[in-house]
Amino acid sequence: MSQKSSRIRNVFEPLDSSLVTRRWQERFGISEQVFSGCIFFRKARSIWAISDVDLPALSYEAVGMRIMNCKDRPWKPTTSALQIFGRYATKNIIHLNQEESMIFLEGGSQVIESDCEIGYVVVFYRGDVLGCGLYSHGKLVSQIPKERRMASTIKGAECEA
Amino acid sequence: MDCLDRYREIVPDYVGFRAIQSLPLYNSARINTLKIEREKLLERLEEEGVLFRSFEWYPLGLKLDIESPGKLLENLLGFIHIQEELSMVPPLVLDPLPGECVLDLCASPGSKTTQISQMMENQGLVIANEPSLARVAPLRSNCERLGVLNVAVTRYDGRNFPRGPFDRVLVDAPCSSEGRERRGPGVLSRCSRERSLDLGVLQISLLKNALRLTKPGGTVVYSTCTYAPEENELVVQKVLEDAEDLRLEKVSIAGLQECPGITEWNGKRLNDALSCTARYYPHINDTGGFYVAKIIKN
Ligand SMILES: C[S@@+](CC[C@H](N)C(=O)[O-])C[C@H]1O[C@@H](n2cnc3c(N)ncnc32)[C@H](O)[C@@H]1O
Repeated sequence: MSQKSSRIRNVFEPLDSSLVTRRWQERFGISEQVFSGCIFFRKARSIWAISDVDLPALSYEAVGMRIMNCKDRPWKPTTSALQIFGRYATKNIIHLNQEESMIFLEGGSQVIESDCEIGYVVVFYRGDVLGCGLYSHGKLVSQIPKERRMASTIKGAECEA
Repeated sequence: MDCLDRYREIVPDYVGFRAIQSLPLYNSARINTLKIEREKLLERLEEEGVLFRSFEWYPLGLKLDIESPGKLLENLLGFIHIQEELSMVPPLVLDPLPGECVLDLCASPGSKTTQISQMMENQGLVIANEPSLARVAPLRSNCERLGVLNVAVTRYDGRNFPRGPFDRVLVDAPCSSEGRERRGPGVLSRCSRERSLDLGVLQISLLKNALRLTKPGGTVVYSTCTYAPEENELVVQKVLEDAEDLRLEKVSIAGLQECPGITEWNGKRLNDALSCTARYYPHINDTGGFYVAKIIKN
């Protein structure tokens, strides 16, 4: 038991929630209440969020959702996390039209006029969060992971023994 | 002669059963209520001119009349998940509640994990276990795309998953997949009684461990997408024989027609209670094939 629980600590380290929520507040104006049902863990340079429960002492591959990456500066939100929490953003938001959304969803870069600060932004189309973009010098670069881009095909056939 | 021949005696309308094997299955998807409401999703599909029909037995299930539903924006954004119709049955039979602690012992690619998560409204905890490293990636990416926050992934051999206890455990076992012939023609060529007997040994160990990990009063659902009794009733019969504190609960979903689990095989009588388990045949509901058993630990 104790050996197992120390293994969790070594891999997924619990993280004080204010350390996480402060950053989302600063960059996107997302209130900390949005995260109130979650607890946070750090593994290497990634931060994970999971529903607020006592995790049994097991060896984990993933603990909830990877919500941000702190490898580089500034920290980068994941597209998955923005699709959940991004709709509460009050700043650093870009709304695209249909044509621009397609370019974004295919993983492309494009010139977009916006008064966003340089850095990561929440990208919307018709009220839906599409994902994370990087905005600088008038250019929006899609950060949508490869497997979730428009041209990608489904993988992982169900039920293969 | 092929591996289905030996089911002549147990499958009702065997001719119809044979005939439907070569008919491909329509595409289907589940609405992901973690990210969108059903009505909104249906409106979107209508607007885009996608032809669909709701399942008669499950309002969140949709038959989609398009060739590559995976390419729909709704799929990329995680509003729907491409999933076989009958694959949506075991989570409903498991019937998890928000706040519970649930184990999905054989989880990848996570169709059922994510359905369980949405039934629990992203609260409580689902442990999605999948030993195969290659199959952890699709499991994780489905969870992330679908906006799941109550799932943790582990990689144990399900036979040795170390500790519980859990309120509910799903064992959606690795199996010979005979029920998938309409989706992936050719699976039958790899099936045989011998292969099913081998798989049965693994399945019995998985189910026994699942029961060990379950709280008293808890529920275990055992499912496969195959017809072979060696992987279905005989597995359940074996664990019932070896434990005293178990009982079967009737598996039945309103609007979907099941056939009772068999109680006789190759001239041998089986436990009568196995008729509470359910066989789903492709020609009866125009689906794939599935087997589902619900076990309560007293
Ligand atoms: C029928 S598939 C599961 C489908 C999944 N439940 C879903 O709905 O998306 C069976 C899975 O069991 C896994 N598996 C194989 N051997 C196993 C074992 N010993 N313990 C646990 N899982 C195992 C396979 O890798 C496979 O991913």
